[in-house]
Amino acid sequence: MNDHSASASKILAYSHTIGLCVMEGRGFMFPVDTLISNTGRMHTISRAYTPADSQKRVTLYDINSEFYGIYGRFGEGIGEFKWPSAIAEDQQGNVYITDETLNRINIYTENGDPVGHWGTSGNSDGEMDGPAGISFDFNNDLYVTDHLNGRVQKYTKDGDYLLTFGEGDLNLPWGVHVSPNGSIYVADWGNHRIVRYSADGSILACYGSHGGGDGQFKNPSSVAVDTDGNIYVADWGNERVQILDSTGNFICSLRGEATISLWGQEFLDANYEEAEPRSRSNLEPDVSLFNGNPHEESAHIEKFFWGPTSVKLDNSGRLYVTESNRHRIQVYCKL
Amino acid sequence: MTTKDEALIGHLLRRAGFGAGKMDIDRFVKLGYEQTVDWLLDFNEEDDVNDALVRRYHPDKSVTHDNAGAGGYWLYRLVTAKNPLREKIGLFWHTIFATGYSKVTNGKPLTDQVKMFRDHGTEKLDQLLLKLSQDPAMIIWLDNVDNHNGAINENYGRELLELFSMGVGNYTEADIKECSRAFTGWTVANSDYIKQLAVRNSIWPYGKLAWRYEFDANDHDSGAKTFLGETGNFNGQDIIEIICKQPATARFIARHLYHFFVSDEPPVPQWLYIPPQDPDAIEQLEKVYFDSGYDLRAVLRALFLSDFFMSEGAYFKKIKSPAELVVGLLRLTEEFDGPMFEFSDRNSQITFMGQQLMNPPSVEGWHQGVEWIETGSLTERVNFSSQILGDISKPGIHKVVNKVIQNCGEKYSSTDFVDYCLMEIGALEASERIREILVDFVKDSGLEEINMSEDRDLAEHKIADLLRVLGSMPEFQKC
Repeated sequence: MNDHSASASKILAYSHTIGLCVMEGRGFMFPVDTLISNTGRMHTISRAYTPADSQKRVTLYDINSEFYGIYGRFGEGIGEFKWPSAIAEDQQGNVYITDETLNRINIYTENGDPVGHWGTSGNSDGEMDGPAGISFDFNNDLYVTDHLNGRVQKYTKDGDYLLTFGEGDLNLPWGVHVSPNGSIYVADWGNHRIVRYSADGSILACYGSHGGGDGQFKNPSSVAVDTDGNIYVADWGNERVQILDSTGNFICSLRGEATISLWGQEFLDANYEEAEPRSRSNLEPDVSLFNGNPHEESAHIEKFFWGPTSVKLDNSGRLYVTESNRHRIQVYCKL
Repeated sequence: MTTKDEALIGHLLRRAGFGAGKMDIDRFVKLGYEQTVDWLLDFNEEDDVNDALVRRYHPDKSVTHDNAGAGGYWLYRLVTAKNPLREKIGLFWHTIFATGYSKVTNGKPLTDQVKMFRDHGTEKLDQLLLKLSQDPAMIIWLDNVDNHNGAINENYGRELLELFSMGVGNYTEADIKECSRAFTGWTVANSDYIKQLAVRNSIWPYGKLAWRYEFDANDHDSGAKTFLGETGNFNGQDIIEIICKQPATARFIARHLYHFFVSDEPPVPQWLYIPPQDPDAIEQLEKVYFDSGYDLRAVLRALFLSDFFMSEGAYFKKIKSPAELVVGLLRLTEEFDGPMFEFSDRNSQITFMGQQLMNPPSVEGWHQGVEWIETGSLTERVNFSSQILGDISKPGIHKVVNKVIQNCGEKYSSTDFVDYCLMEIGALEASERIREILVDFVKDSGLEEINMSEDRDLAEHKIADLLRVLGSMPEFQKC
């Protein structure tokens, strides 16, 4: 693991952590995806507890932890959601959020004002059963992983159906990403691999196999591709992020290096009763105590990724890892 | 209509598991009773519960940091585990080594504790008690984190003897003190921070941390101790060895097993005054306990193969706990093969009936048997059972309905519908009086006159109505 971190430092350097586990307001509760908008604003979806009405929200902030507010809430009305899963932005700056249980796409302005929604439950062309991931292409059309139907569907931003592909290839796909060169990358969660498609839905390549070794995956949840073609994978079941080159060769692996966020530090500064014993604690016990079980390692070692659900890149090549189980975003800079 | 073999397997699967439909009963009748017992007790097969699936859809059940997440995650396991005894043994020890969220305020250590019960709950008692004594949730729950060399806290030492192994009346106050001295230094890592987080129920900054056991040699009293008549420089493990060889321990554990798997006994505090209802059964189990070197799997095997367990007189003599009732229903409906938004609601249902998993009312656990039944909880139990059994949209219920129609063939009577329904939902038996009521209900519904090929939908719904009524019969509340 240390070797991987060392090699990772050749192309990436840990920058900082954003976030705080809170039920409402500034912070996150089981965040599952983050949008880095063209204006630099960040939008993070808190999926929260299934029945926790007030905790589901989108938190609006920036890379410097400046907090701008929240939008969205539990429900079935306009701008409301029940199981929000993924978030993306169109060329006009409108925000789109998938809902896995209402089978629809919610639309908001860049400030979070609700605009409307579209989507129909089912398994025919254009219908959805569990829209999990979402990504726009350069024509302003969007791709959605229709995960319980085991496929990807393409729509106009207004919800007009365009194309279906991946049926028979994909098993509970999660994240989807349109790369700078126009390929569609899908995190094929149930098949433990990344599948690359052309814009018309033809398979171009598959990367990875089931396992914990270099270049292997266990239930990958998200994928992003940079301008050099390097592939960043949220290797969710292995609690790590892996980076492959454009042909799928392993480059490096990240396990997480979280430090205290600005919001976290403000909490600790105001709560000496916790900050003082924390300062005397060992939050990095020997990893060998956990028998090679990544879930347990991450449960005990606070800086490690735990539930790295989403990987996103910004225009500067910075990597943002959203960790659902640690309620935070770890940011890495490209070197 | 139910054969003796089917009735016996149905009984075993209700007690060692959470009940089973006719298809499973047939499978195990074919396998044979003793072989079924051995299959149930064989935990060597790989854990078949798909953790990844529940973690993907319910991140709160991945972290299990609160009791809803932890309880919900356990419910998922209880409902989906192929071998039900692996999970039921966890429920058994959870009712005895009762540890609660109200003080622990972190679902992860509680989830870890239940996993420990699952992994070690059928091994030798001394090994299980050792794991229990090193369990972080227990260390916080019963204050062993505050049990220091020269300043003992007796809470864990007392309950280890009173509630976890021997029972009141078999040791002295001095034994409690010496026992507690032996467990000094058995603590959790980062104890000051963990205690503070637990007291404040803190989720900051990044959610809750998992806990781990740590031995602090500097805080351990390694001096000489006299415990239950033996003297030495005992540590906790030595104390457990002494406990496990006591006849009182064998008797206490045997009675707990009988209470949980065979027939309801009075609440534990009364055991000092009220003898077991079947002293011979307890004696048999005690003997196996010693003959096998405290091997709990051997004791359970003997229990399931005993005359007192297999006797028809033992059938339907226990009141289902809320967890048993809900889990049994949800296994029957097969509704949790995939993600479900309603998952957390199902867990809450157990709480509404008076049993919140991972949060027993006290260290004594739940009083069982007839104490599960009071006006409010009975209404919840009957309403939930009827609602679930009558919901034909659930795949398992639809299968039951189809099987009943298939069994009835072309010529059928109201009695056939009643008997086949009772059979399909788990070789259920109804008293003559209840059976008459059910037959009258079917007659009144007009089910007998329906032409199955022409009005299949109507027939299906009327059979579902009958299943709904079965959920309200007293026998359904028992196992």
